[in-house]
Amino acid sequence: MNDPDKDTLVSARDVTKTYQVGKVEAPALRGITLDVRSRDFLAVVGPSGSGKTTLLNLIGALDSATDGKLTVLGNDLSTMSKRHRADMRLHSLGFVFQAYNLVPVLTARENVEFVLELQGVGSERSRRAMEILDQLDLGEFADRKPSELSGGQQQRVAVARAVASRPKLVLADEPTANLDGENAEILLKMMQGLNEQQNITFIFSTHDPRVVAYARRVVRLVDGRVASDEMKEPASSSGTEQKEAED
Amino acid sequence: MKSISAKYALRSLLRHPRRSILSIVGVGVGCAIGIFASSWIGGSAEMQVRAASESGAGHLRVVPSEWPKTRENILRLGQWEQALAKVRALPGIKTTAVRARVNGLLAFGNRTAGAEVVGVDPAVEPEANRIVGKGRLQGRYLQSGDSNKVVIGKTLADRLDVELDDDLYVTLAGRDEISSAMLTIVGIIDTGSGDLDASICQVTLEDIERITGYQGPGEISILLNDYRLIASMQKKLTEALAGSNAVITWKQVNPGLAGNVEGDKVFTKVLIAIIVVVVSLGIASAQLTAVLERRHEFAILSALGMKGRHVVGLVVLEALLVGVAGAAVALLLGGSAAYYLATKGVNLATMMGEELSFENVLLDPYVYGDFGIWLIWYALAVSVIATVGASIYPAWLATKVEPADALRVI
Repeated sequence: MNDPDKDTLVSARDVTKTYQVGKVEAPALRGITLDVRSRDFLAVVGPSGSGKTTLLNLIGALDSATDGKLTVLGNDLSTMSKRHRADMRLHSLGFVFQAYNLVPVLTARENVEFVLELQGVGSERSRRAMEILDQLDLGEFADRKPSELSGGQQQRVAVARAVASRPKLVLADEPTANLDGENAEILLKMMQGLNEQQNITFIFSTHDPRVVAYARRVVRLVDGRVASDEMKEPASSSGTEQKEAED
Repeated sequence: MKSISAKYALRSLLRHPRRSILSIVGVGVGCAIGIFASSWIGGSAEMQVRAASESGAGHLRVVPSEWPKTRENILRLGQWEQALAKVRALPGIKTTAVRARVNGLLAFGNRTAGAEVVGVDPAVEPEANRIVGKGRLQGRYLQSGDSNKVVIGKTLADRLDVELDDDLYVTLAGRDEISSAMLTIVGIIDTGSGDLDASICQVTLEDIERITGYQGPGEISILLNDYRLIASMQKKLTEALAGSNAVITWKQVNPGLAGNVEGDKVFTKVLIAIIVVVVSLGIASAQLTAVLERRHEFAILSALGMKGRHVVGLVVLEALLVGVAGAAVALLLGGSAAYYLATKGVNLATMMGEELSFENVLLDPYVYGDFGIWLIWYALAVSVIATVGASIYPAWLATKVEPADALRVI
């Protein structure tokens, strides 16, 4: 049996975040309590303004909570310096953004290699980048720049970049928002595979029912609070194919 | 190029090729102006040093110890023959000339003129003094063994209304009393500079000793093979001549000209500083624009874990690339101009009309620019300092981008 503490990658206790907009205080999170365990494939859903992106920002150490205690990978974020947060993001977290956000002047392989270079990986950098790209069926696009790739291919490269550094946790903000149905399916299957085969934990913020369908756990936020937190049976590739056949 | 950071920096410059090219050309042109100015001033300074030293001052001069303080020209060297032998024994010496100076009054008929009468060794003086060697000479120059003969400048001759073979009545400040002699004019020197010609009055060293009673020369003027060795040779000579004599440089002999040369150098430095500042402001503006345009990209990189020092490194690397490319442009433009200046020279006489003189120094009409390996270091240093310096603020600004901005959809 797994040790629950060891398995907990994210622990949020009564976390609040309030933005100051001029003289007005705008609360985004109003006391979130949540545990994310290793190998979770978790979708954070909710209407616009419910605090999904803010929660991802806080878990990703991109922003600081106003109050409460947030521990990520055993680190209390409130006590971490800017440099240590950057270190944690570089070595233990992966990010997938809605707008892909690949570096436009670098090729697919170089985008993946860049993260490895930042990590200080030396001569094996290029080989490792190619391995990941091949694994995600992107080998033939390795030397193309983002502008020469479709949206789906760009997002897959973004996933390759996110997992190249062998993170424990990947945070994906609306990763399928700009993708058509086919590409969204490919991407989700790919991430599901990484979750199952490489034990990488995924947290999505999403509106997309396709993402929710693949998630094993769904946390619903409403007005900055956790409204529900449910485990469910995820969609699988075979299940999807069966559904398509029935349709 | 294996470094992804370097590729990123280089390709970032290529996102806006026209802006990058304009930045590079801006750096290059600014630096080229600096190169040309430095070449001109360097060549001009070298010309002035050469002119000053070859117009009688020498690169170095051995004088009586009290002379630097009093500048009295009746002072005479101690044990000058041994001193001269020691000087001539040192390597790197091109020419030495001994001289003795006395203030005097020249008279012809009812006309008089004050002059510094210089006793010289006629065998070496034309080689050591370009005023004698290059001036247009009517008659002849002094010869060894001449007695009661004098060579004067054209301005003096005009003031006194004398010609060749006229006898000048010369009154000099002697050791014990005022001494006088009749000297026959054997030569009249015309340098083209009225001021300079008014200062020329030369007799043999033996005549000066005989007329005034002061024995020996008051100076040994030394020309070196390489003027850049002035400081080290001064040190060596000072050690070799330890005693009642001092070794001074042309700057101490002719402080007016030395001040002029130093002034030119300061002007060049100020000019270069202005160029660096102007170029830096231009580059800072371009880099700031580039950073502001890429705020979202820097936020992404920061979100991925890039640290501030790496962000600074990227921006500075881009500036460095602009700086190196700017140096290449500077070498192409400024180097070509400096090469022309060094090989063809510029004839100042065509601009200024008559023979050039300054502070009793006969200047060459041609200025040849300074040219050498220093151009490469200069171009690299100026352009890299300007561009890298200019990138500091934009780089700092790039580190201030919040990584949370990365999750904001544009």
